[in-house]
Amino acid sequence: MRNVGLIYKTAIDRRPTLKARLNSFGGGGKQVRTIHALNDINLDIDYGQVLGVIGANGAGKSTLMRVIAGILPPTQGRVEVYGSVSTLLALGVGFNPAMTGRQNVYLGGLAAGLSQEQIEENFEEIADFSELGEAIDSPMRSYSSGMYARLAFSVAATVKPDILIVDEALSTGDAKFKEKSFNRLKELRGQDRALILVSHAMLTLREVCNDVVWLHKGKLIQRGEPGAVIDAYQEFLHVGKSAAVDEDL
Amino acid sequence: MKAPVQVYEPFRAGLPPLGRYWKSLWQRRTFISQFSKSELREQHFDSVFGQLWLVLNPLLLSGVYFLLVVIIGGRSDTTRYAHLTASLFLFYLVSHSLTGGVKSVTAGQKLILNTAFPRIMLPISATIIAIFKFIPTLFVFLIIRIIVGLPFGWQMLWAIPVFLITALFALGLSIAIACVNVYFRDVASFLPYFNRTMLYLSPILYEASSLKPKLRLMQYVNPLFPILDSWSRAVVHAQAPSMHKLLAGLIWAVAIFVIGTYFFLSREREFAVRL
Repeated sequence: MRNVGLIYKTAIDRRPTLKARLNSFGGGGKQVRTIHALNDINLDIDYGQVLGVIGANGAGKSTLMRVIAGILPPTQGRVEVYGSVSTLLALGVGFNPAMTGRQNVYLGGLAAGLSQEQIEENFEEIADFSELGEAIDSPMRSYSSGMYARLAFSVAATVKPDILIVDEALSTGDAKFKEKSFNRLKELRGQDRALILVSHAMLTLREVCNDVVWLHKGKLIQRGEPGAVIDAYQEFLHVGKSAAVDEDL
Repeated sequence: MKAPVQVYEPFRAGLPPLGRYWKSLWQRRTFISQFSKSELREQHFDSVFGQLWLVLNPLLLSGVYFLLVVIIGGRSDTTRYAHLTASLFLFYLVSHSLTGGVKSVTAGQKLILNTAFPRIMLPISATIIAIFKFIPTLFVFLIIRIIVGLPFGWQMLWAIPVFLITALFALGLSIAIACVNVYFRDVASFLPYFNRTMLYLSPILYEASSLKPKLRLMQYVNPLFPILDSWSRAVVHAQAPSMHKLLAGLIWAVAIFVIGTYFFLSREREFAVRL
């Protein structure tokens, strides 16, 4: 990524009334706010690297991931991506709650870029990993949020791209499933793949990543060895080291 | 490592590399099909009759018009009734494509913000759903046609090119309106009135030949006019449609498809920012 920036404008309707809307036809009324979501980001990520991305809410972490994945075009700079990218930015993308879990494995898998054959080959593994049992043939509307998230993660973890971007997807399910998904992510590490993890779970990042970047208000503040960057970030936030902070800041 | 390179730079209105785009769209054809089927199933998910509504809807619609034209109107002209149902069913193919297409991009926010894929897939899916809804109406019309005793003939095969022209026209409209609605959300609210106006301005409640001379201009400015007239000629009267009307329908369909697709493809990289 070279000098990447992303600016967007959003309209502010201070008084969303009919009178204000009619007045705005005359040219006045609406105020426009310019947001610098990303500001002059330079970043190289190599194969074999597991990059953690940290930062407070609104730092631009998800926006950066969407720019790397080609979902959002940058407004300045240039991004070059070598290889296929798969995103796990939100769970259950492509799912239809009216369909059964089984049907959604196909829908979600196809949405993630898998072929029908690949899904068929991996179906048993996905179903086993999700631990849904017979509920796989029930409509997803009847699922609890944990069951929904487990199936969604199981489908997404089947995709084995060159570059995998995961945004907060580890914080799903119960403790046992969190551990399973954490282990799956560790399995996905390798010399032939780049893994980018956005998370507030500092312990996970310390253990999994070999490199961490810290973003703040769209700017890259620090990059380097996970321990050093995470410590600096925690110091900046004035939070001490504790289990609670490490797991879910 | 040898890997495909993607370069992302600031958005400028213009077409993406079409070869790569088409390849990516083609690779997603199974997803388009499954996505369309799941959306269609969802529409009748909570109802008792479920997918049976795909047949019940056209049956009830034709029943309503039978009541209006034959029973209340007192007309024994069954050809007119057949014309009305056949034209109405084809009109609904275009209408459903428009109503499905208008919010296809704005309603696909979760998909658009979290996955990179050819966005044109969404309005295409809306047209596929409209075609899925149209297919059962063909069987309903066939039964009506047999009951009213209209003659069959080889000229009815002209219905195939007319259907293909209509599908292309419906697809072009769906793509165009999906894109326009990203920028002007009011379009979705205007659409029911637009659809109703098109229904009355098209030869559905009347036959094209019965139009007053001073109103003939409509057949040149309304794209549905030559299409619906050709359809009625083929499937109701079992006659070959007039070539100049078929050609006019084709030109309209190609023009709307090309303009809509160009407009959509040149803007789609900006959609994620607009949602």
